[in-house]
Amino acid sequence: MDVDLRVQLGRLALCNPVMVASGTFGYAREMAGLVDLGRLGAIVPKTITRDPRMGNRPPRTVETAAGMLNSIGLDNDGLETFLQKQFPYLAGLGCAIVVSVAGRSHDDFVYLVERLGGVPGIAALELNISCPNVSGGVDFGTDPAMCERVVRGARGVCDLPILAKLTPNVTSVTAIAQAAAGGGADAVSLINTCLGMAVDWRRRRPRLGNVLGGLSGPAIKPIALRAVYQVARAVDIPIIGVGGIASVDDCMEFLVAGASAVQVGTANFYRPAVTMEILDALPGAIAELGASSVAGVVGTLETANGTGGGCPPPAAQGKMDQPITRKSFRYT
Amino acid sequence: MSDWPTATIYPDHAWCGPTEVVENVAIARDTYRVRFGCPQLAAEILPGQFLMLRLAGTDDPLLGRPLAMYDVVLDGGRPWGVDVVYLAVGKLTRRLAACRAGDRLEVWGPLGNGFRPTGAEHLVMIGGGIGQTPFYALGQEALGRSYGRTDRGGRAARRVTLCYGARTAALLAGIDDFRSAGIEVQVATDDGSAGHHGLVSDLIEPLVGGSGPAASLVCCGPEPMLKTVSRIAQRLGVPCQVSLETPMACGMGICFSCVTKVRDGRGGWDYRRTCVEGPVFDAEKIDFD
Ligand SMILES: Cc1cc2nc3c(=O)[nH]c(=O)nc-3n(C[C@H](O)[C@H](O)[C@H](O)COP(=O)(O)OP(=O)(O)OC[C@H]3O[C@@H](n4cnc5c(N)ncnc54)[C@H](O)[C@@H]3O)c2cc1C
Ligand SMILES: Cc1cc2nc3c(=O)[nH]c(=O)nc-3n(C[C@H](O)[C@H](O)[C@H](O)COP(=O)(O)O)c2cc1C
Ligand code: FES
Repeated sequence: MDVDLRVQLGRLALCNPVMVASGTFGYAREMAGLVDLGRLGAIVPKTITRDPRMGNRPPRTVETAAGMLNSIGLDNDGLETFLQKQFPYLAGLGCAIVVSVAGRSHDDFVYLVERLGGVPGIAALELNISCPNVSGGVDFGTDPAMCERVVRGARGVCDLPILAKLTPNVTSVTAIAQAAAGGGADAVSLINTCLGMAVDWRRRRPRLGNVLGGLSGPAIKPIALRAVYQVARAVDIPIIGVGGIASVDDCMEFLVAGASAVQVGTANFYRPAVTMEILDALPGAIAELGASSVAGVVGTLETANGTGGGCPPPAAQGKMDQPITRKSFRYT
Repeated sequence: MSDWPTATIYPDHAWCGPTEVVENVAIARDTYRVRFGCPQLAAEILPGQFLMLRLAGTDDPLLGRPLAMYDVVLDGGRPWGVDVVYLAVGKLTRRLAACRAGDRLEVWGPLGNGFRPTGAEHLVMIGGGIGQTPFYALGQEALGRSYGRTDRGGRAARRVTLCYGARTAALLAGIDDFRSAGIEVQVATDDGSAGHHGLVSDLIEPLVGGSGPAASLVCCGPEPMLKTVSRIAQRLGVPCQVSLETPMACGMGICFSCVTKVRDGRGGWDYRRTCVEGPVFDAEKIDFD
């Protein structure tokens, strides 16, 4: 059976749901020898800021049980250098490029989005309002009103689809997701890293140069799945699942829990060709559920309270093959 | 510096895949040599380049660990596998030490830039701790063996010396390998249990100073040692390449965790990725403070 891998994330159409997560794939050029880049659903290069950032002092990463902590600190050469040096290569790959941006202020975000809105070859923008490693940026991901305002501000100055990447380090991720949807986001990416730390007790020292860092990898998959599940029940816009995805099984778990696409992060570090393995196996896994498209499995989780995930209409229950229609979000 | 920023070596010819331990033998205290098959990787890898290695089928340890190529193993004259010599210090290397023939590994490489052939008549290789591992291949190359697919013209040395520093004699690994390849070995130990009682850097000046043949230094080991050796090289006016042992999470340039302070030639420095711009740098480019 032919399986349709195409996905629609608001106004962003992708040829398949397997993306690579920002900060875990460099600027893609690094991986050209190990990954068939053109096969990826989308590439999200490392987050860029308006001005160059040196990043945090090393050690910047430390391994933890089935995961890792990082405090890279958005080390990047800034917007204009990205456009000159990295973007031309990315634009030639024939794969959707979603540029991730972070700002310290509302105006920073608006500036970045407006500038990138005029650059041909970008498929969408992802607002990184969730990086735990820089002071400033994360407020947009923890305060619903600020989140809504920055998303709306971005929508107002650019015609590209806008994704909002959210942090799990909040009391209610659904409240933030609703705010992002209210501001006009095409989709939300869930989740960025979970704030954590590691200690070397013998030396009485933190193991990261920056003391605190973001936890990622298989260790956070349950948290990410929970976030996707909760948000899928609360908002109408599509969700991109991120967190600990390292196999086709992980990918399917997220789709069933309510994600319309996924981003692979830390797994790129330790299984360089993991995205290709997932793409090879995905059609078979979807067919195993009796579906013939990605949309046919999204949000089809069955709980004691009924089908979970993306609040499908009751008619869709039990009919896996039928794409689940969401109430489409109206942009104002 | 004219070639700033440093060249970036992407893993364009890297191979990534599963392999099996062929043999894993103790060669010194806590030190082992593991051999595994990986013909594509073995055919490409150059002295000073490294590979990432992880244990298959487990998420703990999760990430690969960077390990230098000790030697390329030939089968019927063709590159077939790689030998890695490692010190069991932590989570992965201790588990690796318990691996037996047939145990599964995942490896990817070659990674990083490797040493630049020096063309010097006298190649002086300074290794501290487990930092001697890249020098077995480099020394052999300087004496005529070739690695990789293209001839790098690395064969010019009339003399190759390894200055090898360790805490104690029991940790000295591979000295017989070096000697039988025609490499002179001079040893220094912290406790005086073998060779010179003191720092390995003490061995350099008598070898290089004065009117001997043109020498070039290469150095790998703990940072304080690299710093001392760079200073000596500068004072003696001999070229020096250093290979850094910066912790790495991916080895391929995609995580930005392995950064080190590299001088920009304008009095400042910038954090650069050791895995793709190194691990080998000209000593004067590294800001050791
Ligand atoms: C290019 C390169 C080549 C190398 N080649 C070799 C080689 O040929 N042979 C060899 O034995 N080793 C080599 N190393 C070092 C090797 O990678 C480490 O010893 C290995 O990663 C240890 O892994 P582990 O899981 O056993 O130890 P871990 O459990 O990860 O840690 C072991 C020790 O290292 C310390 N450590 C871990 N992470 C950090 C950090 N971020 N900052 C400071 N300290 C830290 C820990 O505190 C602990 O004391 C090389 C390193 C590089 C970068
Ligand atoms: C080393 C590292 C750097 C990261 N950098 C960024 C970044 O620049 N921007 C961003 O939005 N997310 C960044 N992330 C978060 C990832 O994109 C992802 O959301 C998170 O790691 C969870 O997914 P994973 O468990 O699959 O890695 C980074 C993660 C890691 C491990
Ligand atoms: S180890 Fe990941 S960028 Fe160098």
